[in-house]
Amino acid sequence: MPYQLEITLKTDLFDAEGEGIRQKAENYFGIELAQVRTIRVLTIDVNLSADHLEKIRTEIFTNPVTDISSYAPLPVDFDWTIWVGYRPGVKDNPGSTAMEAVEDILGIKTGPDEAIYTSKRYCLKGDGLTAKDADMIAGELLANDLIQQWKIIPQKQWNPKKGTGMIIPKVILNHEPTVTSVPIDSDATLKKISDERNLALNPNDIPIIRAYFLDKKVQAERALAGLSEPTDIELEYISQARSDHCNHNTFQGLFRYKEGADGSVEIVDNLFETCIKAPTLELKEKKPWVVSVLWDNAGAGRFDDDHYYVITGETHNSPSNMEAYGGAITGIVGVYRDPLGTGKGSKLVMGSYGFCVGPRDYDGDLRPKLHPRRLLDGVIEGVRDGGNKSGIPTPFGQVLFHQGYMGKCLVFVTAVGIMPATVDGKPAEQKTTSPGEMVIMCGGRVGKDGIHGVTASSEVFSENTPAGHVQIGDPYTQKKMHDFLLEARDEGLIQFITDNGGGGLSSSVGESALFSNGCEIQLEKVPLKYEGLDQWEIWISESQERMTVAVRPEDIQRFLSLSEKHAVESTVIGTYADSGKLHITYNGKTCAYVNLDLLKSGFPQWEFDAEWLSPHDRGMTEPVLSEPRDYDRLLMDMLSRPNICSKEWITRQYDHEVQGTSVIKPLVGEDRDVNSDAAVISKLETGNWKLETGNLKLETGGKGLAFSQALLPAYSVIDAYHMTSCTIDEAVRRLIAVGGNLEHIGGVDNFCWPNIQYHPENNPDGKFKAAQLVRSCRALRDMCMAYEIPLLSGKDSMYVDGHLPGKYGETHKVSAPETLQFSCIGVIDDITKCVTMDAKIPGDLVYVLGATRDELGASEYYEHFGHIGKNVPGVFPDQFIPVYKGLCHAIKEELVASVHGIYRGGLGVHLAMVAMGGNIGMNVDLSLVPAEQVSRNDVILFSESAGRFIVTIDPANRKKFETIFKGMPCACIGEITNGSDFIAKGIDKRTLLNVPVQQLKTAWKSPFAGLI
Amino acid sequence: MSDVHALVLTGYGLNCDHETAYALELAGASATRVHINSLIDGSVKLKDFQMMVFGGGFSWGDDHGGGVIQAVRLKTNIGDNILEFIEKGNLVLGICNGFQTLVNLGLLPGFDGDYKTRSVALTYNDCGNFRDDWVNLKVNAASPCVFTRGLDQMELPIRHGEGKFYSDESTIKRLFDNKQVVLQYATRDGELADCRRPFNPNGSISDIAGICDTTGRIFGLMPHPEAFSHWTSHPDWTRIKEEMKRQGGSGDSGVTVGIRLFQNAVKFF
Repeated sequence: MPYQLEITLKTDLFDAEGEGIRQKAENYFGIELAQVRTIRVLTIDVNLSADHLEKIRTEIFTNPVTDISSYAPLPVDFDWTIWVGYRPGVKDNPGSTAMEAVEDILGIKTGPDEAIYTSKRYCLKGDGLTAKDADMIAGELLANDLIQQWKIIPQKQWNPKKGTGMIIPKVILNHEPTVTSVPIDSDATLKKISDERNLALNPNDIPIIRAYFLDKKVQAERALAGLSEPTDIELEYISQARSDHCNHNTFQGLFRYKEGADGSVEIVDNLFETCIKAPTLELKEKKPWVVSVLWDNAGAGRFDDDHYYVITGETHNSPSNMEAYGGAITGIVGVYRDPLGTGKGSKLVMGSYGFCVGPRDYDGDLRPKLHPRRLLDGVIEGVRDGGNKSGIPTPFGQVLFHQGYMGKCLVFVTAVGIMPATVDGKPAEQKTTSPGEMVIMCGGRVGKDGIHGVTASSEVFSENTPAGHVQIGDPYTQKKMHDFLLEARDEGLIQFITDNGGGGLSSSVGESALFSNGCEIQLEKVPLKYEGLDQWEIWISESQERMTVAVRPEDIQRFLSLSEKHAVESTVIGTYADSGKLHITYNGKTCAYVNLDLLKSGFPQWEFDAEWLSPHDRGMTEPVLSEPRDYDRLLMDMLSRPNICSKEWITRQYDHEVQGTSVIKPLVGEDRDVNSDAAVISKLETGNWKLETGNLKLETGGKGLAFSQALLPAYSVIDAYHMTSCTIDEAVRRLIAVGGNLEHIGGVDNFCWPNIQYHPENNPDGKFKAAQLVRSCRALRDMCMAYEIPLLSGKDSMYVDGHLPGKYGETHKVSAPETLQFSCIGVIDDITKCVTMDAKIPGDLVYVLGATRDELGASEYYEHFGHIGKNVPGVFPDQFIPVYKGLCHAIKEELVASVHGIYRGGLGVHLAMVAMGGNIGMNVDLSLVPAEQVSRNDVILFSESAGRFIVTIDPANRKKFETIFKGMPCACIGEITNGSDFIAKGIDKRTLLNVPVQQLKTAWKSPFAGLI
Repeated sequence: MSDVHALVLTGYGLNCDHETAYALELAGASATRVHINSLIDGSVKLKDFQMMVFGGGFSWGDDHGGGVIQAVRLKTNIGDNILEFIEKGNLVLGICNGFQTLVNLGLLPGFDGDYKTRSVALTYNDCGNFRDDWVNLKVNAASPCVFTRGLDQMELPIRHGEGKFYSDESTIKRLFDNKQVVLQYATRDGELADCRRPFNPNGSISDIAGICDTTGRIFGLMPHPEAFSHWTSHPDWTRIKEEMKRQGGSGDSGVTVGIRLFQNAVKFF
């Protein structure tokens, strides 16, 4: 019989979790609570004696110093109590570790039907708290119905003996695994089945699929294997492999692009080939540091003689949009498997995040599944737990608010790893599978989780999207697997490794079998979380924390024993072959027999009409706006805008120093509270360091990795070409600002785009969005070639739209602005030469590098007034590159005290950042700022022209510094002062701004000051 | 090779093992990363080491209290070996998750040589969240702690969600009376934080950041000395370097306080 253990903090202990809920109830819903106390609940569905129960209660689950606990309901005072537990089949990480601990301390082995489930009970006190309030708190704050269930009990209905009652969220399927054959007598039949089964087959693919299965030779071979019509597992395999998520059909599509309604049509065949692959391959020839691109889970560049770094970026938008915590933690933990599955395996050394959500204080009529505020809380926590518990530092991140992300949020996650150049004397970046090698699945078990996740993320989110693909990542299980696989790699036991992400085994085995050209899989060997899964479900399940590995038969014993040492489950599920077939059996009976080259053969290219209308043709103009007078107030208001203001509360939740490699932290300056331009980590943790013991005097700090990202979706409203070029330019400048080298920059492109397929009713502006994509890709190509940035990795997420219910029962389609996140990574030769952005010493000179132009289009300044304008910033690499090179040189020569790029918000905002970083006064003269045809102070202060930096230097270095930039837009505009005020003279030399730096800082910090 | 052999635990979600071993090597020890299961199955033996380091991380995901399950597993399987290791006069260090483990094992505070009773706890931060920040620490010069000899103040990073030191009044008093309170959170000027955030980042009673047993050979602390292994680890290093440069220096401020802590351990033998 099951037991329910309740545990809570002793009454004199502060309940931080409860207090957090109390505050949110008040701040989010205006519900005033006097007190919230939390009770941790364990439902123990394990057959145990009374002695055993008492032993685990006292020795594991109750801290004698802080906790009280009981197998009967705890008498914690409340007016309403809310119990929240997981739904059946949702990953319960604490439940699993509880089982491990119980087995260990009692020395028992539990049965497959036994489990421990965790849940929580919240005890709410508050005068006049209503049932409606309790409902609101349960449904909008404590639980998400997609993954959780709850009970709300008022005090007067509480039975102190029975408590909440016991709910055991055990999965019971009572289902005999069945392979179903699918009739393909017509295209219409297959289309119907595709819709019914949620296969999301593209209608254009259907004839090809049918032709294959109707082919006489294929039919004869299938008959020998005991198959005739296609099986469900076969169609699922094809559907997964053909999905836009896996196959990037959009980027490989054919675009009929024209400029203006009457323009001539230009055929753009395959954006991936022309704008990503071709430039990258061309640059690979020029850049010997490019090691591995365009084929593996992540791209690789050379770090030093003995190591490569690897990088990739992903998004996890759709799941996060529905279950923010679960989606985000699954996203970050998932992207960490990419470097682990790159080459023969890489150690993870850092991660980063980018969150794009609706306005945090949204109070309009649209009703998204999760309010942006709640969504942001959830994704912050998800990436936090996923990263921190993986032991991987998160030294960089960005958060951006925009109404367009109300339909679907964006959660960008990026991962960087390090691998040795060779493993067992062979190149570590290479890998292949060979006939006879074992197919091994490592890590977690398989359940119904995430089924059809890939196809769902290739669809526009609607009320009917199945929620079954929401998962909760498990960094603990993955960390064990990570440690194990790196040890196995170093022993030379791994021939091939890849992760099980989207598409599960179907993707990982399917893709790895292409190398050997075949595989035989015995599906019944795959370890399951619970019985009753159909074969196709086992094959495509996206249960997390799994890797697929190829191991030679002679290494298998060693591999499995290492796995056991690390408490990781590894199972041989088949062998690689050279049959040309994907052959899957279940208990000896064939359930799939497909030619591996099917996917390469003749599937039609996707096609799009793309129609560009220039900003002029769209009637965009500059606003009629006279110059403001109160610049003090204006600057403070600009600093407190949500996309500019301090988000320290988020940054500090992320461990950015684990692994001991932190060089440039996310927050810098005297008070360590202003955002750094980029992150730098050192090489300490390459895993293979060698040192003479006691040798403490390192001549230099050695090499490091600099990392930066940028997001500027606001510019897309004018032109996605400039959005893209400015985003790339910003990421490049961020890298250079900390000491990065223009000669070595690797890029990662992450596109998030609304649906671009035109439809007269459902997507009337589809052609324009398609044109924006074409233009964006062209800018990507142009910038990468200009700055010589090979694209080490990249991904696209193409359906960033949502349909939100409104006030009257109607729904509104909300599309995200066309968004590109661009990441830059580069090697720093000597970390001790890195610089930070904060002003440092009074008397230092303040320089501006790069010209300011009248480019306020879609700027933060215009946005502040509700304008858009037209003059979007441009990027002029020919002019910018000499300046960037000069700055790289000045940093290398240690001539600068601080460097900061001028980004969103413009010069005014970023001069303030430099002063706030130093907590120090600054005195500048705007008439000295290098500018092209600018005659207004507001333009100088807030134009977002690309290509600019603010630099402070020791006056002693003045001559050397100015010599470097001779003939370039570079001017000393003032100095750092002994005072505490930020003072700027205007073009007419009159004082324009005079504000204490601390007052600026207060304004900058105030919007989220109450959050921790 | 150094004569001082240090064991750094790994596995089950621990994650600071590489940099902790690195810091020990910098300090002159010979460090080995050892999986918890290798100690349990006897393939690695404690008797071959003089120092045992319980490092940072999220052992077993920390789902049932920081360090709780790690302590249960070690106590159940090799509890006696660990006690024997201590009896021999060796050193034990617990950092962050390791500190949580030491208090759950009962190795700390170790009143009257009782290394089995849990009488102090590290519980949820008052701020309710995980937090990464640098703190200033005041070192108790009167404490018997081997690791902090000759140190007066330390700046180190904290990175935890459960670091609030908690116990009843009499236990806290006893810790102070015995001079077992080694580290207390302080302001940047070196004054005690007096429970003010962010100086005391978690609400620890009496600003306690680290304690030792009565012998001074077992030491646990929430901050991470291994994360301050090079002068560029410090959050102000670019500022310090610029100031030193103006006075003709290089910016290299020498051996970090983090490494000095490990050097003290090596010097003990």
